[in-house]
Amino acid sequence: MRNDGNKAKKKTSISRETRIKEFKESLKEFWSDFKQVKYGIVGLVLLIVFILMMVLEPFIIPFPEAGERWSDITYWIDNPRSAAPAWVNWFSGKKNTVHEFLTEPELQVTDTPQFQVVEAEFNYNYKYDIPPGELTLKALGKGNVVVEAEIIRPDGETINLVRKNFNTRNETEIRIPLGNEAATRIINFGREFESTENSRNVQRHLLKPMEILFSKAQEGILVKPEPLKGDYRINVKAIIVGKDSYIKDPEVVVSGKVFGFLGTDDARRDIWSGIVVGTKWAIFIGLLTAFVSIAVGIMYGVTMAYFGGWVDSLMMRIYEIFVSIPMLPVLVVFSAVFSPSLWTLILFMCVFYWTGPVLTVRSMALQIKEETYIEAAHALNASTGRIIFKHMIPQLIPYAFANMALSVPGAIVAEASISLLGLGDASVVTWGQILHGAMKSSAVLKGLWWWIVPPGLMIALLGMTFAFLGFSMDKILNPKLKTR
Amino acid sequence: MYGQYAIKRIIYAIINYAIIIFILSALFNASMEATLRSQIEEMIQGEFLARDLTGYTVEEINELKALRRDELYRRYHLYDPMIVRVFWRTYDTLTFNLGKSTSVTSSAGERNVSIIVGEAIPKTALLFTVSAFFNILIGIFLGIKKAQKPGGLLDQSTSILTMIVYGMPSWWLGMMLIMFFVYKLNLFPSGGILSTPPPTGFMYYLDILYHMALPVLTMILLRAWGGAYLIRNIVLGTLQEDYIMSARARGIPENRVLYGHTLRSAAPPIVTMSVMSLLTSFGGAIIFEGIFSWPGMGNLYWIALQQNDIPVLLGNLSVTILLYMAGLVLLDLIYGFLDPRIKVGGKK
Amino acid sequence: MERVLDVRNLKVYYFTSKGPVRAVDDISFYINKGETLGVVGESGCGKTTLGTALLNMPTPPGKVVGGEIIIDGTNILELNENQLRKNVRWEKISMVFQGAMNSLTPAYTIEKQMLETLRYHRELDEQEARERIKKYVNLVGLSDDVLKRYPHELSGGMKQRIVIAMALFLEPELVICDEPTTALDVVVQAQIINLLKELKQKLNLSFIFVTHDLATEAEVADRIMVMYAGKIAEIGTNDQIYGEQGPMHPYTSNLLAATPRLHKKVEKLNFIPGSPPDLLNPPAGCRFHLRCPVVMEKCRTEEPPLKEVEKDHYVACWRCYENE
Repeated sequence: MRNDGNKAKKKTSISRETRIKEFKESLKEFWSDFKQVKYGIVGLVLLIVFILMMVLEPFIIPFPEAGERWSDITYWIDNPRSAAPAWVNWFSGKKNTVHEFLTEPELQVTDTPQFQVVEAEFNYNYKYDIPPGELTLKALGKGNVVVEAEIIRPDGETINLVRKNFNTRNETEIRIPLGNEAATRIINFGREFESTENSRNVQRHLLKPMEILFSKAQEGILVKPEPLKGDYRINVKAIIVGKDSYIKDPEVVVSGKVFGFLGTDDARRDIWSGIVVGTKWAIFIGLLTAFVSIAVGIMYGVTMAYFGGWVDSLMMRIYEIFVSIPMLPVLVVFSAVFSPSLWTLILFMCVFYWTGPVLTVRSMALQIKEETYIEAAHALNASTGRIIFKHMIPQLIPYAFANMALSVPGAIVAEASISLLGLGDASVVTWGQILHGAMKSSAVLKGLWWWIVPPGLMIALLGMTFAFLGFSMDKILNPKLKTR
Repeated sequence: MYGQYAIKRIIYAIINYAIIIFILSALFNASMEATLRSQIEEMIQGEFLARDLTGYTVEEINELKALRRDELYRRYHLYDPMIVRVFWRTYDTLTFNLGKSTSVTSSAGERNVSIIVGEAIPKTALLFTVSAFFNILIGIFLGIKKAQKPGGLLDQSTSILTMIVYGMPSWWLGMMLIMFFVYKLNLFPSGGILSTPPPTGFMYYLDILYHMALPVLTMILLRAWGGAYLIRNIVLGTLQEDYIMSARARGIPENRVLYGHTLRSAAPPIVTMSVMSLLTSFGGAIIFEGIFSWPGMGNLYWIALQQNDIPVLLGNLSVTILLYMAGLVLLDLIYGFLDPRIKVGGKK
Repeated sequence: MERVLDVRNLKVYYFTSKGPVRAVDDISFYINKGETLGVVGESGCGKTTLGTALLNMPTPPGKVVGGEIIIDGTNILELNENQLRKNVRWEKISMVFQGAMNSLTPAYTIEKQMLETLRYHRELDEQEARERIKKYVNLVGLSDDVLKRYPHELSGGMKQRIVIAMALFLEPELVICDEPTTALDVVVQAQIINLLKELKQKLNLSFIFVTHDLATEAEVADRIMVMYAGKIAEIGTNDQIYGEQGPMHPYTSNLLAATPRLHKKVEKLNFIPGSPPDLLNPPAGCRFHLRCPVVMEKCRTEEPPLKEVEKDHYVACWRCYENE
């Protein structure tokens, strides 16, 4: 008797080895089949791109803290508002100034017994037709600081812009809007080159200092200015008085109308950063929801088939009830009343998505159960339950994967829909949240296409990626064609 | 046979619906009651403002109010145990007594939720049935063409299209199309179902069609390929059947074999698939209708959300679920009718 | 005797992704009027392919690549689809398919399907059409009320009868029966066989009866054609094959010997060792040589042609010519 037991145990351990080998082989076979399906490869490549985006996030976005500080206005304060992407310039006749941050200038520090002189030289190449809205000098300073700034144009003209005194106890941010401060001086500069007639006729309040600053010094500079393109130099001199005073991190912000890869929204947030940050959430939400719900669904179906009888009937009735409910409207109302967190949202979606594979899995399991009973009669194996699970799981895995891939887009769209309606978890920057902002600010009406197109496009692309993957897997592993 | 089948389905559906409404009522009981309480206060204030209260002291007035409040609370079962309250709420919902809204009004200015929702139903129905109609038509046409040359250019290109739009939100495509056709090209109206002022007579219907064009176009661009893909698979499967070869051997013309024998035999799964896709797109309608300002049930959710009108949200939800389930039941009935094995029953 | 069908050098290949499978490889035979030709062979020998090819409807990916099929003086392989549909299929030659369970469209009633077929071939008004349908339905032993039924409501035997009725009611010259009784139980099998015998007599039709069941063949066939691996091994009359003398081709004799008899005691079942050859790469010489108990050197390299060894008795076997 004992010997038989050992023999039986040996049988199962041997068969497990062979099963692992079989599994590896079927994986290899699967891979060679998969390679042949063109769109499967495309899907895989796209997925890798998305994953790279997710992994390299901190390196590829200009605002690495975009995720945590999305609602923090101070983080974005220096960006332009509702600015189109920089590359729009390629398509326009008149090029807009690209919003830029001039950082890390050449510093020259001179120490004298009474004070310290810090000189910073900013080089700026202006190659546009429409001048910047403003040039803002920023720095961190403490104590007694006197700041002077002048600009040297490519035509050699120099204009003194500002001389300002700061006295603070703690470290504060120094912000000097140069154009604003130097308005009168710049206009007077302009008048030097303008014809007397134009100079007299022009209306003061219509003049834009920035325009004059970046225009050719010739007649017409005040009424029909022509852009002066070339290298500009902004020299900043800070005189620091006192032991504890200092100035650091000087920076000039060139306020352009266009900015970055994908422009900004009306809260000045860099949309490209938002998009990249949202990638990981989209993938996370999609995969987690798909994985959990499909796993639950499969177990549900297998359990139904395994037990049969009244358990099967009861579970079927429960299944029917869940299937009769449209997820999104319920999700919307639920979110409106209960304001769920992200996790609750995912859980909720799983509650609806698990129904997907149940029927197919159940019929597959029933089929196996039929045959396994016969096998069991011959092979005197352990409980049929174990056989079913050991045989079923390897067979169901490919089906499960295909199903999961195809469920991901739905979950992503669902979350995006909820967030767009303002019912999502506002602490998480998802593509839906970005769209929510767009909706609230009537971006469609205002034609801010760079705010609306990218998030939705990303949703569509990620959905397409998983569609490619899922369909190619389905094509190879369709259970309706693969019966035992 | 079929009669039995039909009745069984309908009864099951009704029971399921009752169960679902019960669960929903329990879930949302707290917030509905909060709304109810404030509505009762509103009612009381209104009543008392209209009365002549001279000669009453403040305490007496408050006492009267308290009495009235008590009476109303009793009427609305607010003193009863939880389970009874949920039961009454379920009952009310099932009998379409959906309460009053907090701020949303119907076109006539009423705040009766049932009427508000009722007004929205036909507009949603119109949009979705028209879209579904075109989708099915195109789906069948394309699907059969694809099945005739599997792996051919048409087949592959439409399959790729299916995958491309698979994860595309309907509302996003809608936004894109609006930005392009409405704001760039100025070809279509930006929203709504009718122009203001609405034209009369024949132009009235044309006006509706004009407003419907863009949303329907969006739906078609999104769903037609998927339908064609599924129909193609179903038809291909059917074409492998022996009875198709047998029909051809009997000298029956190819057109008749295709559209008669094949399509008719494949009708049950095709219809199932079409209706199912109709029903699922129903779910995503909320933002979609909102974008187009189409005054249907989806848009109603949007409006109710903005005004935080819970009774309207819940009433709308109950009706949405009802229609969804009715759709499923209808599907089962049509399927049974089309499949002679169910319609007529088994062996005699 | 008038020939109803004349097949010459017929070749039907299946073009699979691995290459052409030579399912029917250069066969020639004929059928006389009023005669039943039985076609026997193992699974995969080409008999069903032959059946569909005779209607010029080989199952894809099959294609007729050579030869002639002459009915009524016309080579039907030269006709286009339209002509085939109108003049040949069901008019001159009809088919009772293997597995009648699935030969009837489940969505239409029996009557509708029969009417449809009839209407596409004959100009009959409704009344006449219905009468003819009733006549044939009764002929196959069924009552009128099956007409209003859907296929799934009928039993296997009833469906088979309907399929037979449909094959006959245009009164074609030749009816191909492809395993008409295989999927049925023995009792029903016997009924169908008797029915076919009756009809053959009554209507003076020509039949091709394809089966792997030798016993049935013995009962219905006038002449028998034995196929092996896409080629004809032997053709002979019922007597010549089943009679005292026994068949000549070693394959046929083995086939007969391998059939267990109900009455004789059997110690060991005879069987033919090996399995049918791969028709993608058929063996050189005689296709049976790898399994033949009396194989000679010549058999391995040269393919034996079909030769008439006695009247109406043809054999393709080097050994058999010698024995003459």
